[in-house]
Amino acid sequence: MNACTDSRPLIMSYLDGELSEAQAAPLRKHLLECQPCRASAQDQKNLTRWLSTAKQVEEPVHVPRDFAARVARRAFQGDRGALTVEAPMAVLPQRRDERSFRFVLVLTAAAAVIVLCFAVAIRQMTLPTSSRMMAQDENVLPLDKTIQELDRLNARDCEAAKPDVKPAEAGRRP
Amino acid sequence: MEARVMEPQPADDLDLVQETVAGTQASFELLVERYQSRMFALARHYTKNPVEMEDLVQEAFLKAFTRLDTFQHQSSFYTWLYRIATNTILDWMKRRGRSPVTSVEDPELIGEPSRVKIAAPDAQMERNETARITHEVLEHLPDIFRQVLVMREFEEMAYQDIAETLGISIGTVESRLFRARARFKDKLLQLHPEFGQGE
Ligand SMILES: [Zn+2]
Repeated sequence: MNACTDSRPLIMSYLDGELSEAQAAPLRKHLLECQPCRASAQDQKNLTRWLSTAKQVEEPVHVPRDFAARVARRAFQGDRGALTVEAPMAVLPQRRDERSFRFVLVLTAAAAVIVLCFAVAIRQMTLPTSSRMMAQDENVLPLDKTIQELDRLNARDCEAAKPDVKPAEAGRRP
Repeated sequence: MEARVMEPQPADDLDLVQETVAGTQASFELLVERYQSRMFALARHYTKNPVEMEDLVQEAFLKAFTRLDTFQHQSSFYTWLYRIATNTILDWMKRRGRSPVTSVEDPELIGEPSRVKIAAPDAQMERNETARITHEVLEHLPDIFRQVLVMREFEEMAYQDIAETLGISIGTVESRLFRARARFKDKLLQLHPEFGQGE
């Protein structure tokens, strides 16, 4: 048994105040004797400082006026809440507003065609300077890039998780 | 009830819950008012869009309302509400399809921390700048890691509370938190290598 191997996984819990004194005492002793483990603890502490500083300077939130009154009214009107956030395949209007919805669809389609025509026209007009256009296009996409980055990270997580299908068991130490 | 006239203390959460269940709308409004700021602060960690933020908080309160009769005061009202809000956010994240929320436990992966150590935020640096960078890094993390960091670092929840809220074991909380911090560090160093310290 190597004292470092035993100690490393406990350092985070120790710094988070999650160890019992019986667990903490031998770890403290080891930290006093072992420079690399101390360095690891210091590293984790430094990291936490970033987050705790951010917590301290959190800006006050903006709660919309009359929010509480509105929510209480809805609750008592029997609104059970169903998030209307962009759920692509989910709820299309099934009720009487279907016709107006169709009208909006037609309008949207028409607008899309017009925009497309404009886009093509503009593209044609600026073709000679297309290299400059490309450079601008790159600047327009940071959000997409962020999303791609997220997707990539998530995909990698899924991939990494595959061989180990079972979730970590209770009490398993990292 | 007379006692309240004597004591100018604000009504107890439990009183407000009971009055709400008995049909008093104003009591529920008071409960919402009492916790709305903390709920918005929580939602803000997951979206910067004010409309989405408001939707999430409203949804959490509406869900809480429909289950108020199941609230037992073995936990504080806030803890109970927080759990509902967290699950609301989880559902919402799943619906947006952004994160594999349960499928990413890979405790094997955590054995290799990066060699580069991280510096504490520069004492000379504005705290606001530190916060800005921290939030920038958090935004780059998968939701599942951001969530556990928010619970631990911003809500200062104990491992046990995190485990109960997310319905996972303490061992899973530990490994997820460990990996979340490792990812936070990697991302911070990737975006701002100047905060790295050599071995
Ligand atoms: Zn050691």
